[in-house]
Amino acid sequence: MVKKYTSMAYAKADDMLFGNSKYPVKAGLGLEIGAGYTTPELNYAPRPQAGKSKDKLIKEYERITTDAMARMVQIGAPSIVLETEHVEQMSNNPDWGGAVAHAQKTIMEEYHDEYGIKCALRHTIGDIREDRDYLQLRGDKYTTFMEAFEQCAQNGADMLSVESMGGKEVFDYSILRNDTAGILFGIGVLGSMDMEMIWSDIADIAKKNGVVAAGDTDCAQANTAMFIAGGLLDKNLAHTTAIVARAISASRSLCAYEAGATGPGKDCGYENTIIKSISGVPIAQEGKTSTCAHSDVMGNLTMQCCDLWSNESVEYHGEFGGTTVQCWSETLAYDCSMMNTALKLGKGKDLRDILTLSDKYRDPQGYVLAYDNAYKVGQAIAKDGNNNYLRSKNAAIECCNIVEEGINSGKLRLTRFETNALAKVKADLVALTDDADKFMSESLTKYKQEVAVFRPENYGL
Amino acid sequence: MLDLKLEDIDGILVRYNVALEKEMTPDEAAEELYPKDELIYPIAKSIYEGEEEDVVDGLKAAIAAGKKPIDLINDALMIGMGVVSKLYDDGIIFLPNVMMSADAMLNGIEFCKSQTTEVPEPKGTVVCHVAEGDVHDIGKNIVAALLRAAGYDVTDLGRDVPVDEVIEAVVKDKPILLTGTALMTTTMYAFKEINDKLLEKGLKLPFACGGGAVNQDFVAQYDLGVYGEEASDAVKIADAILASGNDIEKLRAEFHKH
Ligand code: B12
Repeated sequence: MVKKYTSMAYAKADDMLFGNSKYPVKAGLGLEIGAGYTTPELNYAPRPQAGKSKDKLIKEYERITTDAMARMVQIGAPSIVLETEHVEQMSNNPDWGGAVAHAQKTIMEEYHDEYGIKCALRHTIGDIREDRDYLQLRGDKYTTFMEAFEQCAQNGADMLSVESMGGKEVFDYSILRNDTAGILFGIGVLGSMDMEMIWSDIADIAKKNGVVAAGDTDCAQANTAMFIAGGLLDKNLAHTTAIVARAISASRSLCAYEAGATGPGKDCGYENTIIKSISGVPIAQEGKTSTCAHSDVMGNLTMQCCDLWSNESVEYHGEFGGTTVQCWSETLAYDCSMMNTALKLGKGKDLRDILTLSDKYRDPQGYVLAYDNAYKVGQAIAKDGNNNYLRSKNAAIECCNIVEEGINSGKLRLTRFETNALAKVKADLVALTDDADKFMSESLTKYKQEVAVFRPENYGL
Repeated sequence: MLDLKLEDIDGILVRYNVALEKEMTPDEAAEELYPKDELIYPIAKSIYEGEEEDVVDGLKAAIAAGKKPIDLINDALMIGMGVVSKLYDDGIIFLPNVMMSADAMLNGIEFCKSQTTEVPEPKGTVVCHVAEGDVHDIGKNIVAALLRAAGYDVTDLGRDVPVDEVIEAVVKDKPILLTGTALMTTTMYAFKEINDKLLEKGLKLPFACGGGAVNQDFVAQYDLGVYGEEASDAVKIADAILASGNDIEKLRAEFHKH
């Protein structure tokens, strides 16, 4: 059952703060997320050779888990979440994923029993629903995909997530061609439809197994846009176009919570502040602590309203300061310690504003995701919450308006190229119909013709 | 919410791209580069603008005025695309413009071919692929589009391409260059296998490798590897091969910057 959000969880933007969510989530061993404190969420990848066999992979994750838990007690961290993003073998062979979850949880239980450290295990199943050339969202692979969630839930994972890919074939085509309607169709319409389907099923599995249906991210689309846009000097995509894709993605990723997920949302969902404003669910975020995985232009800002603070992903190997999982979990834990101190001293909002302001004017992406502006995008979505298309379009237009305000204030300085791209996106958006059915039928005709790999049956169309 | 004063922001961050933006608008810069010939000019301009129909209209007019369709490929379409590529290389226009121009140019080439029985002189074939097990194909798509835009015939094998399929394509198409893209540390090892199998068969051609996971040190470990950081480097490598041969050491000397 899908119940759409038509109002805001928070009465005003200023009510949003890190470590605090409207609807905290209990998970794993003694942990409560968004209940007044922040917790590090460590994410890691096995070394390439470790994927050769099931046994090797389990051993690798045992080492990772033990290393991280050991470091957390060595430095006195009160809580930790471990996130295992599946390598393909673990989702394609659900028993592998289940065995890894079991091995990790066993170690975490030992640490919890011995030291009382609060901890939980998130497993992020790989979206394996594709063939070499086409997405296969509803085909044979769907059963394996769901079985992977089931096995993890049964064997020790406390939270279930995925980075789902619905709409990406149309998006990939459109983003390289500045095709605004295609971006909106891929993320806001097709992506949302797929999310509603999978998250209803994932939420059922979570419920049956007494675990948490956590949440999704638009990594496949909005992050692709963010990476193509790159740094300030890159010339592959306007950052103003990338942030419009991001605003639309909030409308899409929100569908998980409408279909029964409860949070915490996934770390790489940079749309999560918008989602938190509407839904009140706790969120994971990443920023300066994920430089081991990628570069972005808002390393501090993303901390502003996080409940879990993550490093995105790091390959397991040695560093001077220990293994990578030890170094990065330690960095995360000290950041959380700083945020938690600010909360205890009643300075949480000051710290939040400092984090936000240190990046707010760096780039249009950070500007729109700054919590005050993110809240406005949230309102634009909730206004037409029942209509996936319209609310996505609202989010995109509101995003354009916010960037324009920023430019007019003199504080957000953009190149002519970026302002021109913004003007184009906005003109495209304003010209679009308000009629979701009409948009759907026009887009179907257009993209069936233009995008060779687009198969409407993936969306039941 | 707290806020910064306008004058305080510069001490916290610098928008180097704003500070360095060229005075000239892209349209003005393009205008300076178009060929002056009054039949060619509208074609070049329509390519820059990415207007497929206008390109074909321009071609029709030029053919009606006596130009040979086959010559128009090099003398008008490639020239127009050259303007676009130069503006992209100089940081004046962005990738989506290049993609749309490339679509318009390729459409124009098809039109020219349909107007004659002559076959255009090929510049050379490049085989592109994404490593086995890897589905990250956006970088590869950009590489393939830029190569096509530069006039190369591209065999795009797609993503998650088995090693043997790459070898078969090289045997069949005899490319001047093979490119590989990998975004995962788990998949890039396929490049070494490809290298070994090519050498086993006595096929010695430059193998340009790039993509998020790949770095110069890794690529330098196998004989045929040439590392490229940006998609546009693939074009530069192909151009360098045409200009001065396929000596891998020489290519590395030019493209290995780290
Ligand atoms: C977008 C994305 C996806 C999308 C891909 C969409 C698509 N159609 O490509 C989706 C959602 C499908 C995806 C899936 C997965 N992803 Co992913 N993804 C990314 C992300 C965020 C951006 C990649 C991107 O598109 N960049 C933009 C393009 C333009 O860059 P590029 O390809 O590097 O190309 C540029 C240059 O390198 C160059 N270039 C490219 N090729 C060549 C070739 C030559 C010859 C030359 C000269 C130049 C050149 O040209 C381009 C521009 O100049 C990265 C993050 C990151 N840090 O890279 C993760 C990342 C690559 N993904 C990762 C992972 C783990 C996965 C998954 C396994 C997740 C999962 N658990 O399911 C799956 C993989 C499935 C599979 N088997 O491949 C990891 C890889 C970690 C590792 N082991 O190395 C990364 C690094 C994220 C992370 N930090 O953990 N992903």
